[in-house]
Amino acid sequence: MPESRLPNIRVWLLGALVVASLLMIAFGPTFLDRFALNVLSRSMIYAMLAVTVDLLWGYTGVLTFGQAAFFGIGAYATAMVLTHLGNSPELMLLAFALAILVPLVLGIVVGWLSFGYGTTPLYATVISLVLPIVVTQVAFSGGQWTGSSSGLVGYATLPLSLAGYFRLTGICLLAVAAAAWIFVRSDAGKVLVAIRDNEARCAYLGLNASRIKIVLTAVLAGVTGLAGFLFANASGVVAPENTGFVFGTELVIWTALGGRGTILGPVLGTIGIDYLSASLSGQLPFLWKLVVGALFVAMIILLPNGLAGLVGKILPRSKGARRGGGSLRLAQAMQAPQDVVDKPPLLAIHDLGKSYGSLNVLQGINLTVQPGELVSLVGPNGAGKTTLMRCLSDGTESISGSVSVRGANIAGLAPDAIVALGVGRKFQVASVFDSLTVAECLRMARAARHAPSLLHSSDELDLPSAAVEILKLTALDGMLDRPVSALSHGLKQSLELTMVVALEPQLILLDEPTAGLTKTERMTIGTILKKLTGELGLAAILVEHDLDFVREISSRIVVLHQGQLVLDGTVQDVVNSELVKAIYSGGAHD
Amino acid sequence: MTILLDVITTAAILFVVAAGLLAIFGVLKIINFAHGAWLTVGGYCAVATAGVGLNPWLALPVAFVVGSALGGITEVLVVRPLYRRPLDAILATWGLGIVIGQLITLWFGRDVQFTPNLLSGTINVFGIDYSFYRLFMILAALVVGLGFAVLLEGTRLGLSARAVIMNETLARGLGIDTAKVRLTTFMIGTGLTALAGVLLTPLTSVDPDMGLAWLIGAFMLVMVAGSSFGALAMACLVFGGAQTLVSTFVSPVLGGITVAVLCALVLRISPKGFARA
Amino acid sequence: MDRTTGKLLFAMAGALLATAAWAEEPIKIGIPVGLSGANSVVAPSVVQSAELAVEEINAAGGVLGRKLQLEIADDASGAAGAQKAFDSLVFQKEVNAIISMETSAARNAGLPIVAKGEVPFIYTSFYEGRSCSPNLYVNGWVPEQQVPPVVDYFVKKEGAKKFFLVGSDYAFGRGMLEFARTYLEKAGAQVVGEEYLPIEGTDWTAIISKLKSSGADALITSTAGGAPNVTLTKQLRGAGVKLPYGNLAVDEGTAKSMGPDAAGIYIAASYVTSIDSPANKKFLEAMQKKFSGELRTPNDLSVPQYEGVYLYKAAVEKADSTDTSAVLSALGEVSFAGPRGTVSMNKQHHAPLTMYLGQVQEDGSVKVVETFADVDPGTQCPNL
Repeated sequence: MPESRLPNIRVWLLGALVVASLLMIAFGPTFLDRFALNVLSRSMIYAMLAVTVDLLWGYTGVLTFGQAAFFGIGAYATAMVLTHLGNSPELMLLAFALAILVPLVLGIVVGWLSFGYGTTPLYATVISLVLPIVVTQVAFSGGQWTGSSSGLVGYATLPLSLAGYFRLTGICLLAVAAAAWIFVRSDAGKVLVAIRDNEARCAYLGLNASRIKIVLTAVLAGVTGLAGFLFANASGVVAPENTGFVFGTELVIWTALGGRGTILGPVLGTIGIDYLSASLSGQLPFLWKLVVGALFVAMIILLPNGLAGLVGKILPRSKGARRGGGSLRLAQAMQAPQDVVDKPPLLAIHDLGKSYGSLNVLQGINLTVQPGELVSLVGPNGAGKTTLMRCLSDGTESISGSVSVRGANIAGLAPDAIVALGVGRKFQVASVFDSLTVAECLRMARAARHAPSLLHSSDELDLPSAAVEILKLTALDGMLDRPVSALSHGLKQSLELTMVVALEPQLILLDEPTAGLTKTERMTIGTILKKLTGELGLAAILVEHDLDFVREISSRIVVLHQGQLVLDGTVQDVVNSELVKAIYSGGAHD
Repeated sequence: MTILLDVITTAAILFVVAAGLLAIFGVLKIINFAHGAWLTVGGYCAVATAGVGLNPWLALPVAFVVGSALGGITEVLVVRPLYRRPLDAILATWGLGIVIGQLITLWFGRDVQFTPNLLSGTINVFGIDYSFYRLFMILAALVVGLGFAVLLEGTRLGLSARAVIMNETLARGLGIDTAKVRLTTFMIGTGLTALAGVLLTPLTSVDPDMGLAWLIGAFMLVMVAGSSFGALAMACLVFGGAQTLVSTFVSPVLGGITVAVLCALVLRISPKGFARA
Repeated sequence: MDRTTGKLLFAMAGALLATAAWAEEPIKIGIPVGLSGANSVVAPSVVQSAELAVEEINAAGGVLGRKLQLEIADDASGAAGAQKAFDSLVFQKEVNAIISMETSAARNAGLPIVAKGEVPFIYTSFYEGRSCSPNLYVNGWVPEQQVPPVVDYFVKKEGAKKFFLVGSDYAFGRGMLEFARTYLEKAGAQVVGEEYLPIEGTDWTAIISKLKSSGADALITSTAGGAPNVTLTKQLRGAGVKLPYGNLAVDEGTAKSMGPDAAGIYIAASYVTSIDSPANKKFLEAMQKKFSGELRTPNDLSVPQYEGVYLYKAAVEKADSTDTSAVLSALGEVSFAGPRGTVSMNKQHHAPLTMYLGQVQEDGSVKVVETFADVDPGTQCPNL
């Protein structure tokens, strides 16, 4: 935003909102009655929780009901210290520390449980359901330690007046919301959206999505614990319902109604709904719930981005304010791999086999690839080509035999670790991030090398020269701030290829990169591949059906048939092979 | 001996309760978080049937019809737009559950409702007096399970449903009206759930929240079972059994969270649960 | 459409007239109550009895020449809802007193707010005991008053020696059964089992099997009200348990909804509808007359609410003002003769009560088996 000479309506609105919030925090207590102060203090604490839910669900795509549990733990930790140990500034400090640390540590455990490699997205939701149930049960069974169903009450709290609590929670909310706002707009924040859009692509860009989500869960659990600390002090009571699954669902409902993925929406939504319900639900408890429930259903179906999403559509976009089209800076050219003698081959496959139950998909594959080679992998449908590519890029696949990249056995390595060894993979269907812009996608490809900033959205894009060249060849360099969802199929394919090249890999795996492309686009890709291998010394393995294309660009062709490697030779060898003709005419069955 | 009967009957009850959820999840890959609300609807069908003086057993067909009719409306209005957004579908159906619960409250009030017993008393099996109704639930579970087996294996709808489970795009390509398969499956699933609600009335209180207590357990079991009724039966036996054993030998308080915790752990170790793909 | 408008206008006109007739501002009584959530089953009856009390008092000239006015708020039967309700009543509606039946969690959540707002709080629910605050008075029973009638009866009349205790895992459930265990052991009886299920639990199978194999000859339960109680009773009856069965948490309404399954259950309460006294008859008739078709059966929670309003009236009159500290000191001294007999909260902010041991009949009504006069609440708040 700093360079923007044309302040647009969004920036103005935002600034006005911040000023208004500050004024409200400072002067609210002078004109609000006690009821409003009390209710708003609590609503603002809940709004902090909604921000954490929004970061997890709205941005990262992890639907969670578990924030209630972390909140409850923070609140109980505070109340238990103050009830059982007593009250002194030191103990208050201890309560504060525990309220943040205990949820934080538990957050790491829960994150590890939820996001281990290979768990489904739904599994995190499952865990987030079980967690509040367990925590609530502990609170009920805790006897006098937790006060069971009656909760804890009557402990000494921070010596603040009603107005003091209002201001304290207001400042905390403002800080949390502002931090979240800055974070989601930073380059690092975009990683969350990338994970939501396409977690597999993140892994194949060398990002450890599991670890990022675990860290996020833990940090947000700590923030939630802080909210719990505030709540325990401001309300003077902590009860099992504060930590329960139903409260967790309410947080999600507030976030959804306000507008997920907007930070501001959930904050305003939560404060608005909680305040209204405090004022109205006394008269019509069931009708109120009915209305909120019906509104929620309608919102999820019709307006998945909530009220804030609607407002966002109406307001004009702040276009190009941050990212000028031409602010590209070229990095130094990629280094060609050093001399190959004495070094293990780039890729060595030894007796590779893969089976699903009794079905052998791959059998006895031996293959060595050296730098500079462009190896095409051909064979009819079902020959095992895509499976082979997967076995080369994901060490967690159970295989027999071994695969080594630059001498290192990849067995057990997750895709992001294999990327770190220098392997880039392009998928058959263009795998990019639909919610991001072209530049943001490319930045993702660099994120594993240069940790993105948590604060800024950079105006520069460091890319290796090869990647820049592809951008220029495909004219993508003029579309850097365009959203990916607006790109054509061919451009998405090119973008993905650029992302893979931006990883500075030594070996590129390409699964039908030309499928569905026009002749010209195919030519462009071919040129790029030849250049990458021929001039820059990368190696590439290409799965391809278009034999003309293969003949034109390959330095070597490998034929796969029924899971076995039946031919490995030069273009000439293969083109003239009777066996290949037989296979493609569907006759060969050995 | 008692404990063996406890395990089997607990598993049978869990199976009956979770079957409708599984039918929907298996075919539609949608988690119906309004499952609890449909159980409640079933319970109130029993109340209404008794209220107009009909034989309590008639509540079973009544609940099936009411449940599947409501399910049909729900599929068209709420679930259909969300097939591509499964997490949103969880939320929308959860919201729908709130709405149904509040409508029931406004209509019938908050109170615990009276329902006549379907079967009462005990019978002597292997030398012990055991609840007749719990034993009947084994039969009910078998009927539900076998009914589904016949439906899936022996009918055109079942064939289409299996095709949709395996490969939806292919199924559509083969000329199967997938929209109709989904609608029918959702209606059968919800009808069955309402029916399960009637079957629960002799065991639980009938009030606007009656279904909620069963939701999480059923959800967890279905997550472990995937899309197979055989796997669900197995999951019910294993986890229902674990719940009974923990309740008996350790503590019923721990028993109450056994199913949820164990299912979560099993899913962590083997994300596909008991389902063999 | 216009009928509603008409009603509204009529009501407003009535209110205007009433305001004109009463020279001074009304005394406001706040009732935070669980209109939604677990308590929503009994809440309407509590509100009705409070409305009757206020109507009667106003018809007889009010309190110190001022009219009483009710302010009702939903506490959603829990702590979070109670905070909203108490905030709204104490700080927005600025009530003069809180008189209410609530869950323990809601009461605890309300106590700090009542203290901040300096308002007297009469708690009208039975509970697990030992909630102490200068602002709090209680006219419902505590374990010391409720458990002995059941135990004594089972030991003496049924000859029970081995007791099995079953409860929901929450403060009331555990509190009641812990007291019951101590009391039983003192009475020379044996506790052969004590089991709890999570408060939302629905499957009592394992506990019932344990009960059946324990050789117990009497059963005492203390579950959460409503659903868990019904669930347990249905499953007990389904399993053919026919032991003497004392239920510490069932009210007459819930017993009725269980139909024949409830028959034979023993309950101990400070109020049952069948109390044979002129005050109770008068109360029931007035309730019937005021609410007729809408009437919710008066019970052990709604009647203390009715009496609570009268006790507050007596305290205000004795203090000759609504000043909080004056009313608080008067509350411990005044008494009221109502449907439950004469009640005074003179024992450490708690009330000695006449307890009735009743047995549920086939038709759902409760027959009084034995009466225990003026049972002392014991040591509840020695520091008050």
